[in-house]
Amino acid sequence: MQQDHFEEIVEYILENQKKFYRLAYSNVRNEQDAMDVVQDAVCKALEHADSLRDIGAVKTWFYRILMNESMNFLRKNRRELLLEEPLGDEAYVCDPDYADQEDLYERIKGLPAEVQNIIRFRFYEELPLQEIAEIMGLNLNTVKAKLYRGLKALRVEMEGMRG
Amino acid sequence: MKELEKSRETYEGIVIPGELEGRVMEAVQSSRKKRARKLSQRRRSRVYRWAAGIAAALTVVTTIGLNTSEAFAVEMQNLPVIGDLARILTIRSYEKTEGDTQIQAEIPGVDLGENGRELSQEVNAQIEKMTAQYEREALQRAEEYHQAFIETGGTQEEWAEHDIRIHVWYEIKNQTEDVLSFVVKGTESWTSAYAEIRYYNLDLKSNDFLTLADFLGADFIEKANASIKAQIEERTQAGESFFTAEEGGFETITEDSSFYVNDRGNPVIVFEKYSIAPGAAGEIEFEII
Repeated sequence: MQQDHFEEIVEYILENQKKFYRLAYSNVRNEQDAMDVVQDAVCKALEHADSLRDIGAVKTWFYRILMNESMNFLRKNRRELLLEEPLGDEAYVCDPDYADQEDLYERIKGLPAEVQNIIRFRFYEELPLQEIAEIMGLNLNTVKAKLYRGLKALRVEMEGMRG
Repeated sequence: MKELEKSRETYEGIVIPGELEGRVMEAVQSSRKKRARKLSQRRRSRVYRWAAGIAAALTVVTTIGLNTSEAFAVEMQNLPVIGDLARILTIRSYEKTEGDTQIQAEIPGVDLGENGRELSQEVNAQIEKMTAQYEREALQRAEEYHQAFIETGGTQEEWAEHDIRIHVWYEIKNQTEDVLSFVVKGTESWTSAYAEIRYYNLDLKSNDFLTLADFLGADFIEKANASIKAQIEERTQAGESFFTAEEGGFETITEDSSFYVNDRGNPVIVFEKYSIAPGAAGEIEFEII
């Protein structure tokens, strides 16, 4: 029990909290909700500090928890979101011209949540595909395929597929 | 790829609310507290398991007439709390059997560092004295209970079925750089009338005991009384029951009223079981904000 990495995890969290917030915010799209998600993820992670065997894996371990919390939040609040914001960010996926008009950052939001996150991890956080696979609980080939299809939909060049 | 870089810049430009840091710290602190509690529980259950493991050996020892009051398990363990500044530790942790009575103890002590040496000694001496005395008296009560049981027609077999346990332990209520608040408790499994509960609130800056006046100012009695009366009213309406004035209900706190410091850094005044409400309510607490 004394040998877990509690203090190192705390340190990692404090150093990277802004990254966590950005990721959470990109998923839940609301300041307060994003902070709730980060807070919950921190509590869960520290509560299960002993489940992290290798401190070297703290990044994928924590991101995975953060992703789970974000998805839980969206699942729980989907109903309210739909009622309150029927024409929110999700709406412009249907617009065929949309992809040509707005910048890529906005267009990414039109993709399925999972693909969005893969793109964020790959291009914004610069994580190797293998780590992304671990975070998302997918196998490597699935991650590659999803990323490929996502980028194709966005009509951007197919770089970043290695690694 | 240019587009991707641009979108990354937009992403990194997501505004971070000033509140974030505080919220994250809050989560870390509360996890730290939970962890401290869990650690002390695990330590306790480890002693249990260990003690169960030697149960067979214990029986043999008893029958050949050795002194069973020897502490069977004595371990010293550190519970790191607030870095190097101040610590509360389990000085002694043991489980033993006296006759038919099981005693399980986890005696704390504090180590307040160089500047807090005097206060540490004072607190530790008090705890030592209180827990030893409690254990002695509780054992005596167990023996009296045993005799009364036999004298009123109970058999030794029936007595053996009773679960007679004495438990001495502590709980940390709040720990920050400035404050260490904890409670030392002694309880008996067969009666709650004699439970001994003592709160310690230490100011780690001045190395002194914290008083209610430190939190509420010179007129702390009036302030606390007003708050408690209002809370009693509110809680009565919500269905809790308190003694009325005729039944010996709440009148006033005193300088010596028991309290601890909670997670939020507020004093919480505690009334012993039976003191201002029926026993079913147990200890009654009022946070004074």
